[in-house]
Amino acid sequence: MNAMTDKIRQIARRLLEEGKVDMVVGFRKGTVPMMSEPCFIKDSARVDALVWDGNCGINLANYLTRRKERMAVVAKGCDTRNIVTHIIENQIRREQVYIIGVPCQGMIDKRKVKNLADGEVLSVEEKDGKVVVTAGGGEKSFDRTALLQDNCAICHHKNPALSDELAGELVRENPDVDRYEDVRKVEAMGAAEKWKFFDELLSTCIRCYACRNACPLCYCPTCFVDESKPQWVGKGQDPTDTRTFHFLRAFHCAGRCTDCGSCERACPMGIPVRQFTKKLEKDAKELFGWEAGMTLDARPPLDTFRPDDPGAFIK
Amino acid sequence: MRDLKIAKTDWAKGVEKLFGPYRVFGPKKEGLFHNFARLEKGEAPDFSCKNTRLSAKGLIYPQTEKMFEYTLDPNKPDHHVHKEPVKDYSPMAVLGIRPCDAKAFTLVKLNFDTPEYKDPYWIKNYAAATFVGLACDAPCHACFCTSAGTGPYDTAGLDVLLADAGDFFLAKVLTEKGEKLVAAAGWAGAGDAGAFEAKAKAAGDKVVSKVNTAKLAGKVTNDLHAAPFWEDLAFACINCGTCTYLCPTCWCFDIQDEVCGTEGCRLKNWDSCMYPLFTMHGTGHNPRGEKAQRVRQRFMHKLKYFVDKYGAGIHCVGCGRCVTACPVNIDIRRVAEIMNGYEPGKDCAV
Amino acid sequence: MKGLLEHMGIEPGRLHFSWISSAESTKFVDVVSQVTESVKALGPAQNFIKREPKVA
Repeated sequence: MNAMTDKIRQIARRLLEEGKVDMVVGFRKGTVPMMSEPCFIKDSARVDALVWDGNCGINLANYLTRRKERMAVVAKGCDTRNIVTHIIENQIRREQVYIIGVPCQGMIDKRKVKNLADGEVLSVEEKDGKVVVTAGGGEKSFDRTALLQDNCAICHHKNPALSDELAGELVRENPDVDRYEDVRKVEAMGAAEKWKFFDELLSTCIRCYACRNACPLCYCPTCFVDESKPQWVGKGQDPTDTRTFHFLRAFHCAGRCTDCGSCERACPMGIPVRQFTKKLEKDAKELFGWEAGMTLDARPPLDTFRPDDPGAFIK
Repeated sequence: MRDLKIAKTDWAKGVEKLFGPYRVFGPKKEGLFHNFARLEKGEAPDFSCKNTRLSAKGLIYPQTEKMFEYTLDPNKPDHHVHKEPVKDYSPMAVLGIRPCDAKAFTLVKLNFDTPEYKDPYWIKNYAAATFVGLACDAPCHACFCTSAGTGPYDTAGLDVLLADAGDFFLAKVLTEKGEKLVAAAGWAGAGDAGAFEAKAKAAGDKVVSKVNTAKLAGKVTNDLHAAPFWEDLAFACINCGTCTYLCPTCWCFDIQDEVCGTEGCRLKNWDSCMYPLFTMHGTGHNPRGEKAQRVRQRFMHKLKYFVDKYGAGIHCVGCGRCVTACPVNIDIRRVAEIMNGYEPGKDCAV
Repeated sequence: MKGLLEHMGIEPGRLHFSWISSAESTKFVDVVSQVTESVKALGPAQNFIKREPKVA
């Protein structure tokens, strides 16, 4: 068991025993390799179910809205930024959540592991910056950094943006890493080429909405694709409808997306759906100097007007 | 039923001959994963994957299918008349379907082809298909087919079953349709039933994941429905449709009209019990408005209602797709164990 | 929105935004002329158009 898991259990036990919170939201060990399952613990006798490893990529901020309990939540850098976003968007109250902040070394991309492993992946162990993958064809060891999710490899905010208590030492941030190489590549294409790029990107989409539902930002009581009076978008496999869904889903995340990568992680077809949201995230940074969820003390750029807002697009 | 032996070189030549008499479908890599796709002459089905990401159900029951077309233009003589669109129901050869997916069609048939109700689209597609199965010699660790009434060499729902034996396939021709396909391909070498059985036995022993479902039929429906474990089981669920869309046995659909100007059509689209819209009433009331209710519905349908209604086991073939693809690790094997072991009043460890 | 639409392949020049007061009739005429000119130059849109739903 790793030190982080140990510390998370200690904190969770104490909070539940002291009655500071009604429940702790965290991860428990999954039933298949490279999966940890979001769970809640209400009884301090059960805190030993909690774990922390490189498979906790689902954003737990998604599990906090529309609840009445006082909750503690185990939150890595991006999760805390989405908790901040929830608070400033009035989805949860600050005093309702106790944030157990986890300085994060990045999450393991299960698809990368599957591609590199020799046969079916049977178990994955992390140790001292290495990942040992046991597969049907034998055991292989990799540098952990080579197996990170794409969003984690370019992360600027591994440490919690807001927390009540830390479950480990802060880690070194990597502010020099280039976050937008892939976006610039698309920006450099012509219109027809861009259209084709996204057509191919979405060609295997099955409209299961895993990307939307894994996203903590998507908390609308009824999503526009689920509206039936009026119906905004067709529900079949027509590529125009599929594109409309992805385009508008991304647009609703403008200035709010923390690039936590939950959408991409959740996609059963392995579609790089972040290619939509990353463009907006880049624009928010470049046009407004804004990174979502870093502070409780500023309003997001798209819900405030400032006379110096960039207006080049308007005639 | 008879046994054949097909050298891999003859296999490739035979597949070539199927183009023409058949529309040929087989596993093909699309993006990161394999899926069933229509193959062009010269393309070979790719048998290198353990199983396709999406099940084969879409071949018979497409995610979006046109039921009718119509025009609202009063100047046209057939305005406001539903017309069935022209569709291709010519013979199709499905090569390399795994036994679990073929078995799944037999479960779906219980719903789409009944004495009272017949789904003409499904029935016609199913009748057009000849299924050439590929037995699993290396089942995945999340597969639990032998606990779900099927197995890596199950012949249910298949017309031919192939077993890979290195340089050749051992084959069992199971039906009249299978005979026709084998004749069209020109495969005729005598097989070896003994070797086939030995491989089947070895493969069955390799399915390591077991699930107990025997007690489900004896449980009181309302006890399971009111059981306290649903909130915990459903907590992680994000209510996406991954499990239902990847599932070979999930059959629910939604009907939608789409009109552009005066021309319209009626579509049958896959739907998912995970979505709030699935049960939304016209009044705005939603009887399954909460996540836990929807999760409960999915598992109760698969593991209890279906069991009771049809007496054909659980509504699952143990293909393991939902287990491996669920973004948050909701595992039907675990749910089945909990339901199977549940006694009202006793503490159930979740 | 303009940025994202153009990022995914809608031609620059197809989507326009403007702020025109009800008193700015000359500006209104100018903008409308510019918009029609620029859209006509691009020709009919080929993308993001659905006439009949595509089925599998």
